[in-house]
Amino acid sequence: MEGLTLVRPFCCSNASAVSPPRARPFLHPLRLHQLPMACLLPPSSRVRSVGSVVCSTSNDQLSQSVEADSRDWAMQDFYSLRREVETASARVEDIRASAGLQQLEKELAHWEVKASDASFWDDRAKAHQTLLALTDVKDKIRLLSDFKTQVEEAETIVMLTEEMDSKDRGLLEEAASIIKELNKALDRFELTELLSGPYDKEGAVVNITAGAGGTDAQDWADMLLRMYVRWGEKQRYKTRVVEKSMGEEAGIKSATLEVEGRYAYGYLSGEKGTHRIVRQSPFNAKGLRQTSFSGVEVMPLLPEESLNVEIPEEDLEISFSRAGGKGGQNVNKVETAVRITHIPSGVTVRCTEERSQLANKIKALSRLKAKLLVIAEEQRASEIKQIRGDAVKAEWGQQIRNYVFHPYKLVKDVRTGYETSDITSVMDGELDPFIKTYLKYKYSMSMSANEVGQ
Amino acid sequence: MKPSLRPSFTRPWPCIASNFSTFFFQLPTPLTHARNITQIRHRHIHSSPSPPPPPQLASSPPPLLPLFLRPPEYTTTVSDLLEWHSWAKSLAASIGSSFEDSDNGPDSTLLCRELNWLMEDVLDGSDPSLMHKAVARDDPDTIISLKADVQELYSLWKQRIDERRPFQYIVGCQHWRDLILCVREGVLIPRPETEIIVELVGDVISKDEGLREGLWADLGTGSGAIAIGIAKILGNYGRVIATDLNPVAVQVASFNVERYSLQDKIEVREGSWWEPLKGVEGKVAGLVSNPPYIPSDDISGLQAEVGRHEPRLALDGGAEGMDDLLHLCNGAASMLKPGGFFAFETNGEKQCKFLVDYMQNQLPGSFCNVNTVSDFAGILRFVTGFRNR
Repeated sequence: MEGLTLVRPFCCSNASAVSPPRARPFLHPLRLHQLPMACLLPPSSRVRSVGSVVCSTSNDQLSQSVEADSRDWAMQDFYSLRREVETASARVEDIRASAGLQQLEKELAHWEVKASDASFWDDRAKAHQTLLALTDVKDKIRLLSDFKTQVEEAETIVMLTEEMDSKDRGLLEEAASIIKELNKALDRFELTELLSGPYDKEGAVVNITAGAGGTDAQDWADMLLRMYVRWGEKQRYKTRVVEKSMGEEAGIKSATLEVEGRYAYGYLSGEKGTHRIVRQSPFNAKGLRQTSFSGVEVMPLLPEESLNVEIPEEDLEISFSRAGGKGGQNVNKVETAVRITHIPSGVTVRCTEERSQLANKIKALSRLKAKLLVIAEEQRASEIKQIRGDAVKAEWGQQIRNYVFHPYKLVKDVRTGYETSDITSVMDGELDPFIKTYLKYKYSMSMSANEVGQ
Repeated sequence: MKPSLRPSFTRPWPCIASNFSTFFFQLPTPLTHARNITQIRHRHIHSSPSPPPPPQLASSPPPLLPLFLRPPEYTTTVSDLLEWHSWAKSLAASIGSSFEDSDNGPDSTLLCRELNWLMEDVLDGSDPSLMHKAVARDDPDTIISLKADVQELYSLWKQRIDERRPFQYIVGCQHWRDLILCVREGVLIPRPETEIIVELVGDVISKDEGLREGLWADLGTGSGAIAIGIAKILGNYGRVIATDLNPVAVQVASFNVERYSLQDKIEVREGSWWEPLKGVEGKVAGLVSNPPYIPSDDISGLQAEVGRHEPRLALDGGAEGMDDLLHLCNGAASMLKPGGFFAFETNGEKQCKFLVDYMQNQLPGSFCNVNTVSDFAGILRFVTGFRNR
């Protein structure tokens, strides 16, 4: 692709002082119909087609020096626009593929057959549901085809511009605005697709527990805590370390972080698992390479009213930590921790951050409910009592990510294979690529599972 | 029912509004004074029934408003506050387990937790986030408002560590159930175990309307914790009399009652055990108490926060620790109406079993369904039962 012609500024109508005027290139007739009206009009009298805003970008009053500046600027502008269009195009392809367009069309046919059935309206409630599902699928298919149309429009403009000798600023601006809107729409689509779990839009409670490995593991848990706090701050979420149990020498034994904000749970839920570090431990006198683990557990931060789950009292084992000794008037310690175990599933929560035992008990109970709801969701159980305890046992058993500081630098997610060598940024909360890759991975897994299921 | 943030100070704390900016520079005073009073009173209750010395409230103890209720009228820079915080933290860390080893006191972890709560109380509402932002922006000169002077924070934390002054007296409050109760020297700090008494009452009134609508009495109310807890679960029904021999406790309990706007429901009366209940004999639906129950000989070996700072009057139950409990058991039958409920906290195990046996064998026919209830740690802690119908 010859990029030389791009050196010209967008506003070219009065560019004769800089370069001689050239004839407008011949537009391929096949492309003509795809182009907005705007490009068929002479540049100086152009009226923007989109929004019909008068936008005469060809500024005849520009002095030569400004024009010389804007030439460089325009070239870079075009390059970045072209890159954006390419990225958006790839993204649209990705989304259309992962959304399973064929699958959706099958689904649509399926619902349409149902809706045309003679007995369709016999069960009104069911009919209503079917119609809702039908509209949902239709909307989705329409959105997906809209994405394609839009990105193609932008691509055409870019291609056209490359073929033309002169750059049409208005046209390129239009492409830029298409891409901008498209990206927003894609973001929204992805978000609703990837974060469509029932609790995804809630806040999150992140529990970090140091694994075996002594001080090194406790320091590692502290590093992870910092990483999530930084991530939360970058997302402009409200983060609060509500509980922290310090390690003997350094680091933490455990900590609980509350992250408030929309979709915090959706993003963080994939962080659940064991995180492994390999490094030359600063706590190891010989400076030997050491491996440590920390567990991360994530629960949604559910508003009290959504926790309308009744758990029979006999299923709960509630223990309160007491300072030991004779208790009662003999002791005065701010030890108000409460631990609740759901006996059938073995799920346990502990709450220490509140200043009274009752407050801790209430909080622990709502955390337990949130946790059970999530497990029920994961196991596709319709009720808490259907939760299979055996499947819950390995709470953060699965190792999800390796952080290698030595002998080379690498952070690698073992589920998605995503990796980066910029470990400093990751530890500084740059987790988005990992989170997004995982969400996509999870989404495609669930899509293929659906296909198998149908 | 939420406590109002601006309680009326006029009645129980007459001189708060005018005095409180000056009094907290004389912190040690209330402590020594309160202890004098309680010791005098203590001798009184366990020896002769001679009239108590006149209360000396006019000159002292100065009313201390809990930190969290004070206006945020001090300012400091984030760096000064953080400097204090890291000093306090390292002081706490230096304790290790030495308090725990010597008298089952708090270890570093618990002290750090207290320090966080102290920060919570001294910072004004939205300020914690302001502080984090300042740290994130690396802007240590950001000004934040505080409810105490940084110098006072140094002296408070020194008192906490060096003198083992209880954390709850430092901040002037104790979080108990869903309540924040003001406490100070002279008043027993309500314990987590005692929260169970309110649960027990809750169970009883949910099964018996008559008890719910009746008159309840909390004897030796201290900060008013149990009385307020019960008044809240009674809802629109019933009423509560809270009594205490110690005028400081009466004052603090009244303050707490007003803070929760329960003055129409709870009447705080001064006097020893049955004395303030004259006139309601045989009419009480429920009787609860967390009386002093620690044997006198054990007092000297208590955790320093308790033994050195909390009122002996509220702890010392005589030679076996049973003087007041037995006094309560003996009088309960004539005070309760038929079917009335009682719950007493004890020193645990031995005392519980002894009381059950005592009530069944020494006071035959007075009570039914006499039971023991364990606390969180699994120690038999409470004795409960009903007056025979």
